[in-house]
Amino acid sequence: MKFTIDSSALADAVAWAARSLPARPTAPVLAGLLLEAKQTSLTLSGFDLEVSAQISLDTDVEEPGRVLVSGRLLADITRALPHLPVTIATDGPRVNVECGSSRFTLLTLPVEDYPSLPSMPTVSGLIDGPTFTSAISQVAIAAGRDETLPALTGIRLEIEGDTLTLAATDRYRLAVREIPWKPEQSSISATALILGRTLNETAKAMTSATEVELAFSSRDGAVESLVGFSGAGRSTTTRLIDGEFPKYRSLFPDDSATSAQIEKASFIDAVKRVSLVAERNTPIRLAFSSEGLTLEAGTGDEAQASESVDAQVTGEEILIAFNPQYLVDGLNAVVGDYVSMTFVSSSKPAVLTGMLTADAKPDSSYRYLLMPVRMAG
Amino acid sequence: MSVFDGLVGQEMAAHELQVAVSDAQLVLGGQAGPAMTHAWLFVGPPGSGRSLAARAFAQALQCQEGGCGQCKDCLDIANRTHPDVVMTEPVGVHYGVEDVRELVAQASGSPIRGRWRVFVLEDADRLESQQMDWKPANVLLKAIEEPAPHTVWILCAPSLQDVIATIKSRCRVVSLRTPSASEVTEVLITKYGAEPELAAAAARISQGHIGQARRYVRDEDTRNRHSDVMNLPASLTTLDACIEAAAQFVETADERMKDSVKGRDTQEREDVRQVYGVGARGIEARGVAKALNDLEKTQKRRAKRARSDAVDLALLDLLSFYRDVLMVQWGADVSLINKEFAAQLHAAAAGASPEITMRRIEEVLRTRATLSGNAAPRLVLEALFATLRDPAVAH
Ligand SMILES: [Zn+2]
Repeated sequence: MKFTIDSSALADAVAWAARSLPARPTAPVLAGLLLEAKQTSLTLSGFDLEVSAQISLDTDVEEPGRVLVSGRLLADITRALPHLPVTIATDGPRVNVECGSSRFTLLTLPVEDYPSLPSMPTVSGLIDGPTFTSAISQVAIAAGRDETLPALTGIRLEIEGDTLTLAATDRYRLAVREIPWKPEQSSISATALILGRTLNETAKAMTSATEVELAFSSRDGAVESLVGFSGAGRSTTTRLIDGEFPKYRSLFPDDSATSAQIEKASFIDAVKRVSLVAERNTPIRLAFSSEGLTLEAGTGDEAQASESVDAQVTGEEILIAFNPQYLVDGLNAVVGDYVSMTFVSSSKPAVLTGMLTADAKPDSSYRYLLMPVRMAG
Repeated sequence: MSVFDGLVGQEMAAHELQVAVSDAQLVLGGQAGPAMTHAWLFVGPPGSGRSLAARAFAQALQCQEGGCGQCKDCLDIANRTHPDVVMTEPVGVHYGVEDVRELVAQASGSPIRGRWRVFVLEDADRLESQQMDWKPANVLLKAIEEPAPHTVWILCAPSLQDVIATIKSRCRVVSLRTPSASEVTEVLITKYGAEPELAAAAARISQGHIGQARRYVRDEDTRNRHSDVMNLPASLTTLDACIEAAAQFVETADERMKDSVKGRDTQEREDVRQVYGVGARGIEARGVAKALNDLEKTQKRRAKRARSDAVDLALLDLLSFYRDVLMVQWGADVSLINKEFAAQLHAAAAGASPEITMRRIEEVLRTRATLSGNAAPRLVLEALFATLRDPAVAH
């Protein structure tokens, strides 16, 4: 194998692919980065047995080949190279790296022991990159962290024609985002459950792509074991969670008794100030009336805090309590300067949606459902 | 060629597992397959090949050919690089809660290569401990009770009594038997090229433990250590001699332990060096010193366990000595385990009554139980040897 390539392009590619290498590999080959040089391209691959990452670069290949080297060492080397063309060539069991006056030699790992990488499923459709990334971060906040409830640690992807829905819940809140996408077949219908943590990482890894290809390994509409994302020469595959996601659509109430529109920034500040007084995770009480919104936290005489915020309230007066952190998460996730909150009663979940301005219509493409906390007494 | 061929004397278990593998195919196709299930418990005495059987089952479940041993699936499983097979063992004496949580989290993933997701837990008897206020076994139990559709758990333990009832009741048990001396002899001759006479001695002395038998054939130190144990009872002439013998016994066990972990320890150090790219020129491999340091700590913890295993194995040798003495005293000396040491056995038989021999056997058994509770071996062994010397001075 022998090829020459721009050193900074190589450094970026190595750094990206090396991110998926395992911290504690079960076998040394898994700490390796696979370099495959074919005619006019170089492909780098890493695989930690959960997530695979692959990146391709155009380059002139003098001699095609396939070699496995310590990913962490190659990353250290490429990071330090001068901005010049770098030549990489095998020499028996060694790989030589030459760039300007710099010379390095790495030992190779046994490439024949490397596991076969999961093959990328066929492409199901295209999504706008930035939209996809922001949608994932909007729902990831509601994903659970308890590994003994695996389905709740996941983000659910649902495809129905040209709509892609993302959802996550930890039973205390539920975040749902709908985005348009371009399916390969307009009749497509599929679902997948992906570990929230992993999908968030994947989305970050794809930020440079203007359009992301989404690939499900789908059989009879049921997604099998893998989902793949690709864009800008980079692709990753991720193992799916084999579990049942709660039926969440029916959790959204059909009607509401009260609705309120509040300016977001001052609402968030007030929640933070009021909840500071109370002990961590004690509920914050919100009273909505024609006068506006009053926030309260703490019990008894000591450490009680109260603050008022302007709010446009229609419908019945309501007193309702929430976990302050979950409330702030939701307020931060909805898009716009204003938030719309709708309520059924103080024991039923509230729904948060974003509003770009005070007069704008609530944007229901992202909904954050928040369970109230039972009030003492 | 099948991966099950490597299991010695386990035809029953291999048959049961092969039926499970073909039913597993039916299950994947959406049909009923009653011989397949989500949770398995492989029980068998040390040396019966529990982990080998578990690995063979994992290979057979993943392989297109039902466990050919040659395809990429089979090889990746053997190399521990298969994305759908996880093989794990406790790092210290027991499994940690966090380790089990991590496994349970992984177990919710679907199989990447489209068949099963297999988790092998060696030493499942070490899942529960009194030191752990939140028992790892409970975390695992939940995962076994509600398994993901394609997840298979294979737990390995020496015997059924070693596994807590709640887990046991949810697993299908596969019993591995101790292979007979003739089965072990045959394997030693055909597979490892041992001399028939040495193979027969090794098979008898190791009492069905194939790993031990191979070591006995291959390694002179192992044979010498065994003959030391055979000469031990006659050496217990004075109390001083007992104290001396206990010190020697512990030292020998230590050497045995070092031999048993040496190969793996060296391999692991080499693996770390590969991971960090040691041997490169023009750049210093970063972080390798710390990684080797961490590895050494892990190895030390494992050595501690291996040391108590080595003491126990030597006690088993001693037990076999007194068992043979009893046979001689009963006039049933046709099937002696330690036939090569007839002189020592006959001398011991002549110097005691069968009742005293029985008493000695009980004392050795009692000592094994005491030492499994992590007692300091040297003092316990001194007490044992003093009792063996003169069984009238009992506890
Ligand atoms: Zn195979």
